[in-house]
Amino acid sequence: MTEPTTDTSPPLTPATRDCVFIVIPAYNEAERIGRTVAEMRAEYPQVVVVDDGSSDATAAAAATAGAQVLRHVINRGQGAALQTGIEYALRRGAGFVVTFDADGQHDVADVAGLLSPILRGECDITLGSRFLGGAEGLPRTRRALLRAAVLFTRLISRVRLTDTHNGLRAFSRRAAAKLDITLDRMAHASEIIDQIRRSGLPFREVPVRIRYTAYSLAKGQSARGALRILFDYLLRRFTE
Amino acid sequence: MSLQTLNTFQVVALPVLLLLFAGSVATAIRRPGSRRAGTLWALVWLAAGVAIARPKLTTAAAAWLGIGRGTDLVLYCAVLVMLIGFWMTYTRLRRLSREITLLTRNLALRQAGEPGGAPNAGERHDDEPRNRAIT
Repeated sequence: MTEPTTDTSPPLTPATRDCVFIVIPAYNEAERIGRTVAEMRAEYPQVVVVDDGSSDATAAAAATAGAQVLRHVINRGQGAALQTGIEYALRRGAGFVVTFDADGQHDVADVAGLLSPILRGECDITLGSRFLGGAEGLPRTRRALLRAAVLFTRLISRVRLTDTHNGLRAFSRRAAAKLDITLDRMAHASEIIDQIRRSGLPFREVPVRIRYTAYSLAKGQSARGALRILFDYLLRRFTE
Repeated sequence: MSLQTLNTFQVVALPVLLLLFAGSVATAIRRPGSRRAGTLWALVWLAAGVAIARPKLTTAAAAWLGIGRGTDLVLYCAVLVMLIGFWMTYTRLRRLSREITLLTRNLALRQAGEPGGAPNAGERHDDEPRNRAIT
């Protein structure tokens, strides 16, 4: 027998794929969301798009591509949209919840890699890391910003990760049920890490590939955005 | 104190403060729900009136606290009250924003055919009247 030593994960059977819910928060992503959903649907049937009060045709584009669309009537931020999608997935009986970005920077092929340690029962949460995997076209300033965030998390949250602000994550049902994202805007990434640490559930980082394009970069965070995130997070942490 | 000894500012400010004081007292008496707020405001107007009518008193109070001038004491108090006010407004705003999010989520789930709101929809309800004192 020449079994590959790298991957001993159980195969993703259609039945398993059926209880994987992909949650995609989207705000004004009409241009790209259809493609993201279609690519995802080719592999995983349960795709949930949370349209976070977009002013463009995001919801229609996502629905046309076959996603289950939830609509925030007003924009509440990515953290809020993620929590809405996760709660919906849990109500629909999700066995696994995967969070995925709308802008096409993630690779559908990486989802299987995130799921397999959970399917093998080795951990409950997997977090995508672009610094273990590949980050194509990542500008130097963005890289510095992300590194600073990693260092910050190490100091403040006391969790050792190589990439703290990656939208690609997978959760077992019980891990997803423990999440309660209250930071509506972008500071939720740090909040999620804190909640994972506090839940005591085992987690692991998995290398993922990020494709930076002009589109996804324009949608990403600037240094000024990062300051606001820091402010949101610290206020929350030291006032409650 | 005769009218001649009042300076212009006192002539303008004291009647206004008196009205505000009377209004707050009336609120405290008539509206049981705002008793604390009314009393608190009445005390604030009273303190302001005393400080304006008898500036020497603030100097005495300042000296007792180890601050040089009465005006400095008033300034410090004003800044402190302002900061507390900002903080209270800020926390209130945040609570409001949290509630709007829960409402938006509930609506989104309902429209998707999932009855009921978030399991934590009925979380803290600590904004009893007592927390509304100064607002």
